[in-house]
Amino acid sequence: MFPWSPEFVWDAGHLAFFGAFYSVLAAIAAVLGLGLRRAVADARAGRAHRIAWHAAFEELPARDRACRHQLTGEAPGRVCDNAFDCRRCAAHPSFEALRATHASAVPATGPAGLHLPGDRLYHRGHAFVRPEPDGTVTVGLDDLARRLVGEAEVVERPRPGMCLEEDAPALRLRAQGREVRVLSPVRGVVIGTSGEGAAVTVRVDPEGPLDTRHLLDGDEVGAWAMREIERLQALLGPRELGPALADGGELLPDLGAVIPRERVDGVLGEMFLDL
Amino acid sequence: MSERLDEGLTPRGLPRAPLRRFVLWLVPWTALLGVGLYAGYRCLAYGLNETNLDNRFAFGLWIYLDLTVIALGAGAFFTGLLLYVLRKRELKAVINSAVVLGFICYSGAVAILMIDVGQPLRAWFTFWHPNVHSMLTEVTFCLTCYLVVLAFEYLPIVLRNRKLSRLPSLLLFEHQLHKLMVVFALVGAFLSFFHQGSLGGLYGVLQGRPFAFREALAVWPSTFFLFILSAAAAGPSFVLATTWIASKLSSRALVRPEVYELLGRVSGRLLVLYVLLKSVDTLVWLNHTSPQLGIHPARFYAFDPFGTWVLFAEIVALGLLPALVLTSARWRRDPRFLVPAAFLACAGVALNRFIMTVQTLALPTLPFDPFLTYLPSWQETMSFLGVVAYGVVLYSLSFRYLNLFPQERELLASEEVTHVPLVA
Amino acid sequence: MKSPESNVRARYGMVVDLDRCNGCGACVVACAVENNVPPANGRATERTGISWLNVQRLEGAGGRAAFLPMMCQQCDTRTPCASVCPQNAVELDRSSGIVGQVPVRCLGCRYCMVACPYHARYFNWWDPQWPGTIAETLNPAVSTRTRGVVEKCNFCIQRLQAARTRHAATGGDPAVAPDYTPACVEACPAGALVFGDLGDPQSEVSQLAQSPESFRLLERLGTGAKVHYRTRRPWVRQAVADAPAPTDGRTHV
Repeated sequence: MFPWSPEFVWDAGHLAFFGAFYSVLAAIAAVLGLGLRRAVADARAGRAHRIAWHAAFEELPARDRACRHQLTGEAPGRVCDNAFDCRRCAAHPSFEALRATHASAVPATGPAGLHLPGDRLYHRGHAFVRPEPDGTVTVGLDDLARRLVGEAEVVERPRPGMCLEEDAPALRLRAQGREVRVLSPVRGVVIGTSGEGAAVTVRVDPEGPLDTRHLLDGDEVGAWAMREIERLQALLGPRELGPALADGGELLPDLGAVIPRERVDGVLGEMFLDL
Repeated sequence: MSERLDEGLTPRGLPRAPLRRFVLWLVPWTALLGVGLYAGYRCLAYGLNETNLDNRFAFGLWIYLDLTVIALGAGAFFTGLLLYVLRKRELKAVINSAVVLGFICYSGAVAILMIDVGQPLRAWFTFWHPNVHSMLTEVTFCLTCYLVVLAFEYLPIVLRNRKLSRLPSLLLFEHQLHKLMVVFALVGAFLSFFHQGSLGGLYGVLQGRPFAFREALAVWPSTFFLFILSAAAAGPSFVLATTWIASKLSSRALVRPEVYELLGRVSGRLLVLYVLLKSVDTLVWLNHTSPQLGIHPARFYAFDPFGTWVLFAEIVALGLLPALVLTSARWRRDPRFLVPAAFLACAGVALNRFIMTVQTLALPTLPFDPFLTYLPSWQETMSFLGVVAYGVVLYSLSFRYLNLFPQERELLASEEVTHVPLVA
Repeated sequence: MKSPESNVRARYGMVVDLDRCNGCGACVVACAVENNVPPANGRATERTGISWLNVQRLEGAGGRAAFLPMMCQQCDTRTPCASVCPQNAVELDRSSGIVGQVPVRCLGCRYCMVACPYHARYFNWWDPQWPGTIAETLNPAVSTRTRGVVEKCNFCIQRLQAARTRHAATGGDPAVAPDYTPACVEACPAGALVFGDLGDPQSEVSQLAQSPESFRLLERLGTGAKVHYRTRRPWVRQAVADAPAPTDGRTHV
């Protein structure tokens, strides 16, 4: 096996055989070593959150990955393969250029009675961003998210001074015994948090110009909310949807009460993009 | 229905049976595994006299089944090759399952081999004093390396478990390993090519056994190439068949129909090529090779139960027939033809390995030899069934706690939904 | 391991006279005693027991019988077993032509047993037991084997080693292969077994091997066996040889 052992013979057969064997071992070791080294580099460069989000995004089925431009009808059937990061999308700027200005007057009440004020920008993971006059922003759960989690407790809230990144977990809540993580829509430094349960908000200082290209605003929001209701329908199935819609048209404030217990985990996971 | 006890460990949103029902499913298989372990223990503790192997039937059930599971486990390397190197994206839907199956097949085969050899503690001798001209040396090296590769292909699937992927170190390592998976796929394909071939070469070089001996291309007898081809043909069929079984047992669609389509098509085309080359090889062997060694080919089929029907069964009934069904687009679309054809293809490979192992040893070599029979002992049978049980248990655990079938989630919703528009 | 006499190129072989063998089995017993072949386990059968040398009974028409002692045929250039052993536990020793089995290196994979067409290899299916005082009769020149390894006839190579030692000690010519006698040859009362260097044209074994009555088993396989059989009885020849008697009066040695 080794050249120094007395039986070893340097002939074509031995050279071919051991050449192949040691090459295979080297290839396996190289992959493992390289993988380990790169993983350590990723950890040091703080890319863990981005990779975790991309991993979760890959688990989403195509119906959950509709491009924002599909929602508005600009690109029917288009599916996002960029983890909803429109800043890094090659096609997004061209879509934006083609669009007229975003409609400014957005009704505050969206489909199924959802409260969607126009002064907010929305993240696909159901967090909103409200720019404040002093240059900071407020981040919280949007109305659909609040109704989904219902009576929830905040398990993990960001500490003041902590750095948040886009698509990194900002909050962890516990609803109906299941954990839900809410992704941060913005990058910045946490100033403080307030509120309890689903009404919790986080005040963030962006420390520079706020990049909101990946967030939904204007008439996109209504179309997106409609789509989210349809997603909820798909997850619940027609027989559960009835009880979820009071008056036949408005979503209940606490959906957890009507979602069957064995489905809660899956519904929360998919709606919060936490798979 | 209350929440499942292990809900936090199973993939989010994918329905899984209640834990109690799952444990009940595992119980008989675990019991079988226990019996198998006991049978193996007896062989290790008391010696191989616990088997019905003897000096004439030195290879028996274990070697035959080892060769069969390794041939079927070729689905792992072949699916990986088709996906990562030839970019057949549809196979993303089954690659995880194929890798788990491959790992089960190879680890099971190695476990059986450790009981089969007389001195398992000397297993490292083959590495220390290798005879590079022996086919079995090549098999040993390749199998060991390939089992390591399979373990590292299985690892990322395990690391994607819901709880484990929460640990950043494991998540990051999995991410980087996955990006380098093509290297493992290539190494795996290289190793598989050689050990599938060498397993064929095991028999083809036996100049003392004209039934098994074949003409050679350089140092490799024709069985080397035929075994690679039959394994590559049976692999996708095995993946298809096992996916279908998993689908039936879990009562849901796990892959889109076009995935079955692709697997069936690839298997069918390779099977056609295999049947062609095998027929040519058989004709050469019967008309040229064997007469040269002084044997009239009729002697090979002169003993019951190994009549010429065996040849017909292997090449036509379990070779040409499934090949024709799998290559026909019309029949492939119908699962009532596709699935049985896949099973037949797997059975054909199993029959081929049986013939090469058992019939070779049963046939007389010396003019005054009798025709020999052999039936495995309960220890041999149960230890092998123990391996099957191990496979079922490991696969069941993988199916429950890991995301073996990425398309399961999207197929689930499309089954349940009748899209009710919200508009009042 | 190279023997000190590696310059010598002997080809020890044997000629078995089937017309003289009466099936007494003395050779079998002598072999077992000489080579520490363990007594059969109570559950052993003819297919699981070990006897490096065994006598086959051949039956002809009219109640005629012949006896064929079978041992390792010591194949030459194309040794089926040596080429397939994954651990190099079988070695064709060029200085003597003996195919040596190395049980201490044997893994017990039994591939060599599958490869051997002469069924000359035996596996230790049980742990060898030496009950009572049998252990005192063990031959110290031959190591005993453990369970799970293969063993076979090696032309009593321990006697060759002893002969070489004597040869060297008495100042014999190193280029000459010494004579020695394996246990079976020594024990045969009918003189049916003749042993010697097939490469020495003067030796009795060499001359017998080339006579027209001599043949090898499975000649067409081309194993180059160094055990020849001879008989003047056509029915015996027909029963065991796969090639008809040559007409030129010679067979290859």
